[in-house]
Amino acid sequence: MDRTQWTGFLSMDIENRAGKSVPKNIYFHDALKVQRPVYDGKSGRPCYYILNLGGGYLDGDTYRIEIKVREKAELTLTTLGATLIYKTPTKPVYQETEIFLEENSYLEYLPDPIIGYEKARYKQLDTIYMKKGATLFYSDILTPGWSAEGRSFSYDMLHLRTNIYMEDELVVYDNIKLEPAVQQIDVLGFMEEYTHLGTFIVIAEKIDEDLVKRLQEVINKQSGDFKAGISSLTVAGFTLRVMANMTQDIQKVISACHALISKEWYAKTPPLLRKY
Amino acid sequence: MDSSLLSLFQLCDSNFPSGGFSHSFGLETYIQQDKVIDPETFSQWLTLYLEEQMVSADGFAIKLAYQALENDNFEEIWHLDRLLTVQNVSQETREGTRFMGRSLIKIAETIYDSELIELYNKRIKEKKSFAHPAIVFALAGNHLKITKDTTILYYMYSTVINLVQNAVRAIPIGQTAGQKIITAFQPKLQKAVTTINDLEESDFGTIAPGIEMAQMQHENLTVRIFMS
Repeated sequence: MDRTQWTGFLSMDIENRAGKSVPKNIYFHDALKVQRPVYDGKSGRPCYYILNLGGGYLDGDTYRIEIKVREKAELTLTTLGATLIYKTPTKPVYQETEIFLEENSYLEYLPDPIIGYEKARYKQLDTIYMKKGATLFYSDILTPGWSAEGRSFSYDMLHLRTNIYMEDELVVYDNIKLEPAVQQIDVLGFMEEYTHLGTFIVIAEKIDEDLVKRLQEVINKQSGDFKAGISSLTVAGFTLRVMANMTQDIQKVISACHALISKEWYAKTPPLLRKY
Repeated sequence: MDSSLLSLFQLCDSNFPSGGFSHSFGLETYIQQDKVIDPETFSQWLTLYLEEQMVSADGFAIKLAYQALENDNFEEIWHLDRLLTVQNVSQETREGTRFMGRSLIKIAETIYDSELIELYNKRIKEKKSFAHPAIVFALAGNHLKITKDTTILYYMYSTVINLVQNAVRAIPIGQTAGQKIITAFQPKLQKAVTTINDLEESDFGTIAPGIEMAQMQHENLTVRIFMS
């Protein structure tokens, strides 16, 4: 599909130039755009905010995001607000994201929640290719939108697929499909007494069983009405899953884990970029 | 009765001694949380486990493996072994399943004369494949020229029996109550095969959030009788 055929298209290419992560190329088209980056004071890492100019995703919309973080470059990517999916009477909204992380690159991809409104159908496919030494922080949060009848699950379907490859080998395959239109959602074994579902996947060579244990302790200390589970991947990394009834409760758990990792890693090895 | 069917039964019956008795696949977490307490609540859990996790992962994998075997596409079989393994988020459940897969493939290699089963075992030993019971069943069923649907049905049936036996010991529930559940699951198992045949590739390994959560949380239970 040609770039201009998407409802929104965004392409970002970040490189390390003399120790500083800078855009090599940024292109966006129609409904998607990024603002000028904010540089983190400590690490110098650029943080970009993705904006949806239409204010929400509508029937049949298609979006594509391409991200490349080159060798030793770093990037934080988030959204300016939640991704709102409105009713899709004829065709589901589709969004695909392709991410390439070169050797020793670093990406935090932490978008705001996806909110599915009444009769909304949304399909997302994220594919991430990582090279040796690359670090990835990835999250998604699925939440139901407000409904006139006050039902918890008024959207028809939210379907998120995430494939992560390390050196061309599939290491994460995550397939979340919540389909209240045809499925009983609030039963034992499925969403039970919760409405929101969050995922946090971290892959980095430095992650070991001991860190996962300490993250479990951090999770146990969090207050709020949620259920969380964390477990190691087949490569150095973990998946954290959180079920709750409020976005904040999920964000709190994810942030606490993210904070512990950042604190530990940067206390030991200050970011390379600080030298410059 | 067809002798090849008897031969597949032998594999079904070795599922339990191959480690099935020591894995609850998250059921024990629900038992400790007092959410699964009797035959009714256990049936609810087992229904979700069958209709969500088993159907979209193990069952669907057997179907896809049969398709791949028809086309002599062995790479697809090894890919399915990887998919089944990495889609399983809980490390403990994943390792438990691998352990069962490794035990089963050894038995399968002994009782069946199949080059493909030998090759799969060789790949597992060389750490090129992980080992998964569903793949072993697909290779065995195909070797015995048993239809895809029958293999899927027997695989799921042997898993259900396995989990009922674990529930009998762990909740506990009576043997008769357990057998009643197995009878009640017959139509559900038939329906599951139909569902599997209607799935699209993008449905592979869709998660059941609660079941998966219980499998992850099992890793932190202090007192337990099951390994997963």
